[in-house]
Amino acid sequence: MADTKFGRYASCSSVNMSLPVQGLTNLECKNLQDYLQSRTPETLEKLYTHPPICLAVYRELPEIARQFIIRILFVDQPVPKAVVSSWGAQRCAKDQTEAASCLTNLNVWRVTAIPGGLAAWELSPTFKKSLRQALLGGGKPWTMTNTVEKDSKPRDISFLDSYAMSRWRCVLHYMVGTGARSSGTTDAEAISPDAVRILLHANLMKRDDRDGITITRQGFQFLLLDTRAQVWHFMLQYLDTCEERGIPLPECLSMLFQLSFSTLGRDYSSEGMSCQMLTFLQHLREFGLVFQRKRKEGRFYPTRLAVNVTNKEEGQVVRTTLTEDVHLQNSGYIVVETNYRIYAYTDSPLQVAVLGLFTELLYRFPNLVVGVLTRDSVRQALRGGITAEQIVSYLEQYAHPNMKLMESAIRSKSCLPPTVVDQIKLWEMERNRFIYTEGVVYNQFLSQNDYLTLRDYALSINVLVWQNERTRTMVVQKNGHDDVKRYWKKYSKIAG
Amino acid sequence: MADDENEDQKEYRWETGYEKTWEAIKEDDDGLLDSAIAEIIQKAKRKRQVQKAKQNRLGMMRHLFVVIDCSESMSVPDLKPTRLLCTLKLLEIFIEEFFDQNPISQLGIIALKAKRAEKITELTGTARVHLKALEGLANVTLTSEPSLQNGLDMALKTLKVVPSHASREIVVIMGSLTTCDPVDINLTIDELVKEGIRCSVISLSAEIHVCRYLTQKTLGTYGAVLDDAHFRDQLLSQVDPPPAAKTQHNSLIRMGFPHSKDEVEGKDAPLSMCMCHVDNLDEPSELCTTGHHCPQCKSKYCELPVECQSCGLTLVSAPHLARSYHHLFPVPNYEELSMESVPQLSECDGIRKCYGCQKVLSAPHDKMVFKCSHCKQFYCIDCDIFIHETLHACVGCNTIPGVAGLIYQQQQQGGKTIAAETHDMLPSTSKQQRQFSM
Amino acid sequence: MDAVEQAATKEAESSIDLLVIVLDTNPSQQFVRQSPQNLTQVLESIIAFGNAHLMQKAQNQLAVISCSHHSTDFLYPVPGRQVELRQIDGQYEAFSLVEKTVKQQLGNILMNAPRLSSPCESLLAGSMTMALCYISRLQRNVAAGAKMHSRILVVTGSNECASQYMTFMNVFFTAQKLGIVVDTCALDKTLSLLQQGCDITNGQFLKVTQLDGLLQYLLWVFLPAPQMRHKLVLPPPPKVDYRASCFCHRELIDIGYVCSVCLSVFCKYSPICTTCHTIFKTPGPLPIKPKKKKKVEKQM
Repeated sequence: MADTKFGRYASCSSVNMSLPVQGLTNLECKNLQDYLQSRTPETLEKLYTHPPICLAVYRELPEIARQFIIRILFVDQPVPKAVVSSWGAQRCAKDQTEAASCLTNLNVWRVTAIPGGLAAWELSPTFKKSLRQALLGGGKPWTMTNTVEKDSKPRDISFLDSYAMSRWRCVLHYMVGTGARSSGTTDAEAISPDAVRILLHANLMKRDDRDGITITRQGFQFLLLDTRAQVWHFMLQYLDTCEERGIPLPECLSMLFQLSFSTLGRDYSSEGMSCQMLTFLQHLREFGLVFQRKRKEGRFYPTRLAVNVTNKEEGQVVRTTLTEDVHLQNSGYIVVETNYRIYAYTDSPLQVAVLGLFTELLYRFPNLVVGVLTRDSVRQALRGGITAEQIVSYLEQYAHPNMKLMESAIRSKSCLPPTVVDQIKLWEMERNRFIYTEGVVYNQFLSQNDYLTLRDYALSINVLVWQNERTRTMVVQKNGHDDVKRYWKKYSKIAG
Repeated sequence: MADDENEDQKEYRWETGYEKTWEAIKEDDDGLLDSAIAEIIQKAKRKRQVQKAKQNRLGMMRHLFVVIDCSESMSVPDLKPTRLLCTLKLLEIFIEEFFDQNPISQLGIIALKAKRAEKITELTGTARVHLKALEGLANVTLTSEPSLQNGLDMALKTLKVVPSHASREIVVIMGSLTTCDPVDINLTIDELVKEGIRCSVISLSAEIHVCRYLTQKTLGTYGAVLDDAHFRDQLLSQVDPPPAAKTQHNSLIRMGFPHSKDEVEGKDAPLSMCMCHVDNLDEPSELCTTGHHCPQCKSKYCELPVECQSCGLTLVSAPHLARSYHHLFPVPNYEELSMESVPQLSECDGIRKCYGCQKVLSAPHDKMVFKCSHCKQFYCIDCDIFIHETLHACVGCNTIPGVAGLIYQQQQQGGKTIAAETHDMLPSTSKQQRQFSM
Repeated sequence: MDAVEQAATKEAESSIDLLVIVLDTNPSQQFVRQSPQNLTQVLESIIAFGNAHLMQKAQNQLAVISCSHHSTDFLYPVPGRQVELRQIDGQYEAFSLVEKTVKQQLGNILMNAPRLSSPCESLLAGSMTMALCYISRLQRNVAAGAKMHSRILVVTGSNECASQYMTFMNVFFTAQKLGIVVDTCALDKTLSLLQQGCDITNGQFLKVTQLDGLLQYLLWVFLPAPQMRHKLVLPPPPKVDYRASCFCHRELIDIGYVCSVCLSVFCKYSPICTTCHTIFKTPGPLPIKPKKKKKVEKQM
């Protein structure tokens, strides 16, 4: 429904120049599972020869599916279906079916017949072998291993974090046009044609005859995602195009997951990697997923962006070389008050631009921007295809650390004032107040009796949309019209 | 004895606490305040635990009446949202905690409504009943004055008949500054003193002489709350069992330990009804096979501890008793030392670690460390608090064989072990008691 | 109802699961005395099981504690610098690290252990107190907004020792209070104390008599997180005997006498408490409290 209405709003909003209305489809974010399910079984089989991929796939599975896999991982014969289904409790049968179908779709297990005519589940041998290898050892080392000799100048985690974020921000800055194009091109801020091609391919940006390359509707939605989701989405788009570039997909994916399983702050060696993989590494370097001092150096450090790729949520604990946990320096800078005011402690044009998508900016100081959430500003964003959910999650994600302290006091799930969250959602909902139904009007009945009979009939077959007894008018759904008409003919024949 | 300490404490917190607070904060060598602040935080954390003095005789079986003022003054919103709602909220926590720490004790609630006293719940050992009753109290209309005497009389009447080996207590939560009593309240106070019932008062407004007098006479505690956090502390301090009253008669109590072993193997127990829900109309008793059977008369109960309705035997399970043991054998306080006294581990780059949580100790947060005088191990402040307030068992004393009940040493000595082993279930001599309290 | 379930699933996916394995490495355990190789076999199973736990979710955490006859030590993680490690086969780096560290640490411990002449007990309860301290530290340090679920798995072939009764009980009550699940895998005899602990904290108790299938047993029964165990069919809880044993003869009793001051349990009446030396006044059975009728309070 929202989409049909969207067309109408789009036409009137063309007056408003700042609106990012370009494509009509929303940004579609696939998770790993969706991505893999859209591959062919042959590709999957090829992917499963890499232990890192199997490990990543395993972690993506639903909880019950993971238990099933681990239970049959060390069983060499196929296991009868009936046995597997007896493992789950009766009242969670739905979860079980879901898990089973997920495993089938991912080609992790398949049905075979065992002697005695029973259907049984059998784990894909490739998957089984690779997963066992990842868990217990054996087989070849992964392509990316630790360096032997010590780095004379090892890089610490905080350096890697700031490096990664600055690289990634380059891409984002390019998108909103605050980076390279506005303030004199410097080498550090430019992004390569390859990256631009991916942005275009992903439909995050588009080439316009008039102003060159501009950001799309999906692009803005992309900006509202958290960094981890951004990187993941971006990498998926990259993988889509990697075959064209002559880089084989399984190796790429395997490499990406290896990075995600690596230890933050440790250096790895690119020794023995194929030529294509080295190109891939250079691309990763550009986006800030790995740090390498020089292009030719055989040593690289994965950054938090890479390590976080397979995590489900931003800011999770990652494995580091230190035994004590190191959390990413809190990047929160937004304070939201119950009076809908927003104070953002930032001087980044990117962050201001993103905030400007859904707030009315009031004042700007060297390190602070003050804005207010109004019905108009939020509706404008909604019209642009941004959802209330996205706005709220953006605000939550970048909430100032002090806002998070409040959370424990009121024990609410979100750190934002509940009134603001509710209001944003209400503003979204109010746009969905109309439900359009095609229908046929019946009126000018001769008697109240005729009217009541027909209305009750329409009501009984559930096609009545609206009725008014005083004016003897009723509206029937279009698909119910034939039935009601037939009934009316039969009725008037009997009555008449 | 505890009473004497209270007597000395003439000064109030607000009279002394905030004088020259800046003197406590000193810059360290680098001109930073971090270490000074860390120290203050540490001290505040330990404060409560240091106050706990060791008691050797406690009233473990407690019969406690909570008397709640439900007069007009309880609607004052100085405690948010109102005094009454705040009280009820905190009482919920208190009741949970009370039964957690004192599993074989009983509790009852009395409300002081408009010069009358009303028993909200009878003395019972199940938290559920009280929590439900508290919910009902939230909607009570708050009018008129309370009568302290009526409340005390009602509690007294019930507590009088409680067996003398039990510790009998009353905790009054007063919002009002006045009480409207039928006769001279001193008579009631004398009666309470005679019976050895300990009365404590928490006042939500200001100190009232008659309440102070009452608590002094009956060896209870008196407190006027500053804010809700202080109120909470005051209330929760009532959770720990008080020292045994002098009038308390010590005796051996006959108790039953129900078990479900006497069923025939491989056969389900017959369906039966439990006694606790037989009269209960809200939740009628269900026929089922599980439950606890009184070893004396075989009547069934669905939860423990309970007093058998047909033969009067107190039914408990062993863990219920065990839950209270830590009051009797607390972990002795550790010695506070500076971090430098911790030996460095040679095999791990000379780091210092906490024996309990394996944390690597580093300044300034771990400036002070704590050493157990028995096992000679060092702990960080968090472990110190955790061990004393929650765990009630010293990690080192329980993991190092030489210290732990001397078992390892006994093995070495060979011959003399048998005599000691027969007692090692629980300390039976004062010497062993010391070991166990480690 | 469905929404609640969904929220629970989502919560379970994002929470951190911490598993602390307390492994009894006492050489006087029955299965070790049969053949020292058995300990290696158990160790291999434990490592594989620990790694399987780490494999479940990226944020899962593991700790392994060894409880030997002379000391209790952490096998993994070790404070301070980590072992430098180069991948040698297809095993995931983090899993190799666990395997290497655990084996190396245990080797050190066994090397430094004093020789023991006669069998002696494992101080399991003490090791569990250390596990609790460790868990409580990690739980304190969890970032705002994140949730941590912790559990302790005890793997032991030792006999039970009643001298640790109090410590065990304190451990169980602390675990219950902090929401920590205690699981036990008994390799030799049924351990009634640990069984009580599992019952109190809603954990699983399993007796495994054959070491051959140990890993499979562990994976089946103990791998599922406690929050999802209701979705799987697992061994039903055994009936736990909660009777007390008297302090005088250490026999399980149905009806006993309890000291009102220190709560010591005795099987027959005695005029003085042997624990706290209290002298009791009233001999014989206590008068049964008369049932009171509700009386109307005399008001003003």
